[in-house]
Amino acid sequence: MPQAQTSPPIPGLQPGKKAVVVFFETDCPTCQLALPYLNSLKQDSVQVIGLSQDDERSTREFVSQLKISYPVELDAGLKISRAYDPHNVPTFYLIDENGQVQRTLVGFDKQGLNELAAALGHPPIAPADDGAPAWKPGCSSRHLEPEAQGTEQKNTQENGAKMLRRTGDPATRITLRDEEDHFEYCRQKFGDALPVIPPTIEKVEAMVKASGLAPEMVIARVPPFYGEATVEKIAANAVMAGCVPEMMRVLLPLMRAACDERFNLHGVQATTHFAAPLVMINGPVRQELGFWSKQNVFSNVARANSSLGRAFQLVLLNIGGGRPDGIDMSALGNPGKFSFCIAENEEENPWEPFHVTRGLKREQSAVSLFAAEPPRGVSEHTAPAGKTVLETISFALATVWSYRTCLMPEAIVILCPEHVKTIHRDGFTKEQARQFLFENTGIPVRHYSKEERAEGTQLAANYKEITVRGEKCYQKFRSPEAISIFVSGGTAGKFSAVIGSWSTGPTGSQMVTYPIPDK
Amino acid sequence: MVTIVHPGNESVPKAATPPGRLKSLTGKKIGLLDISKPGGSFFLDRLEEILRTKYGAAEILRTRKPTFSKNAPPQIIEQLRGMDAVVEGLAD
Repeated sequence: MPQAQTSPPIPGLQPGKKAVVVFFETDCPTCQLALPYLNSLKQDSVQVIGLSQDDERSTREFVSQLKISYPVELDAGLKISRAYDPHNVPTFYLIDENGQVQRTLVGFDKQGLNELAAALGHPPIAPADDGAPAWKPGCSSRHLEPEAQGTEQKNTQENGAKMLRRTGDPATRITLRDEEDHFEYCRQKFGDALPVIPPTIEKVEAMVKASGLAPEMVIARVPPFYGEATVEKIAANAVMAGCVPEMMRVLLPLMRAACDERFNLHGVQATTHFAAPLVMINGPVRQELGFWSKQNVFSNVARANSSLGRAFQLVLLNIGGGRPDGIDMSALGNPGKFSFCIAENEEENPWEPFHVTRGLKREQSAVSLFAAEPPRGVSEHTAPAGKTVLETISFALATVWSYRTCLMPEAIVILCPEHVKTIHRDGFTKEQARQFLFENTGIPVRHYSKEERAEGTQLAANYKEITVRGEKCYQKFRSPEAISIFVSGGTAGKFSAVIGSWSTGPTGSQMVTYPIPDK
Repeated sequence: MVTIVHPGNESVPKAATPPGRLKSLTGKKIGLLDISKPGGSFFLDRLEEILRTKYGAAEILRTRKPTFSKNAPPQIIEQLRGMDAVVEGLAD
């Protein structure tokens, strides 16, 4: 435990008052996630001080972009970092009135932040349901980096620290001769079987500039090859896919979401199942960048949806290595692997939007990811009642993953505007509609045979028996939360869709929702 | 002439030399890794029996990944260290 009294003084620290001091790096995604939470600590009773391990310019940008409301100081020469010796950033120290460290918290940990707040007599500061993960490991502290220690291990392949570095190598420049077909070269080397736009230096630079970040900053490591997705390399893929530079605002949080441990992209990219990451967009960014949420939402209808979905897939292919003729072993694949990006038709949704159900504010733009099967259509043009529409959807829900498999699968119900209007008109809240689908999706027990082995039958002893429409059934889903409702599509045509999951929960892939920074 | 920015993963994977093939299984220590797919144990149970009775393996270490969908955690890899050979059992 470091003794604060023998350390260099922390700038701005007033003696005789409790303080929370947090060491951070400006390019550490976990620090970017964690530091805004301290804004809600009331600063009359406790001092909050951020100590940046980076230079003034990037620190100022960090503070302004994340709207940090407490004082932030620079740890020049990393002197204070060396004295306190945090192994990772962010590290939070609770310092008592006598300057002694009372408590240390490493990385982003909602429970730990709330305990820290409680130790200061403060209500919780990290809500469980705000869309951020409960826990996320940080980066190694700057003073422990080989560069800071003056060793010569820097950038060698053998250096284990490379796996954790925040700054990658510049991308190689490839010069193509005039007599070469540039489009054909890029299609063959880096395409998704279709032609791509050559990622020229000028185009990539414009894309990087729009991100406001350094080109070599590592945003994520993309499984299964764990290639370094630097801003520059993501930008090159965005150019190839036909994105406008402003799309970097969405693509970067999307890459972070995809590489969130909970999403388990490693499994999603390598499975023999149909799974492809379905990108779901909510909030003002839909209008700002032109994401389409109406008729043909799953089709080739809007540049924003198609180019973002394609850029994302190209990153998975080129940086992650999930090539469909190699590591990606999907038996049948998924047309969504070209592009799989939809937006919610919030204007036709009488209930709260999807990202609000996921814990974010309505005015916050957000991107969510679900390891998805292709959509299966549900037509219901005859039923006059909302309850009957939901019943019809429950029959489609019964078929996800495999008809007789219960408990494991999850599903997204894409409700078309006409269907949601009917269901809402008949008095269903969003929660009630979901509860109805949960309670009424069952597989008749008579479809299970003890003698004949088949997928789903071997686990029947674990299933819950319920009665649906007078018949003894096994309940399809483990909880109402296994079903998500997303309103999308055109206002004409009573066609909704059900999208099944890949393997779910902590041993499979969990849906993730990340905020998209404001314009 | 056009210059483009390399959009792919440029890291060079570290080459590893596979250990030489075992000339005989007699007296050897064999690890059997179940990846936790349904049915994996049927295959590995039978393999264990054959390795013991027909090939005279001295020791069989059975271990299991918590889930087939993710990499084996370090403690599982650690368990298998020191084996002369390891069989990873797929299933379905």
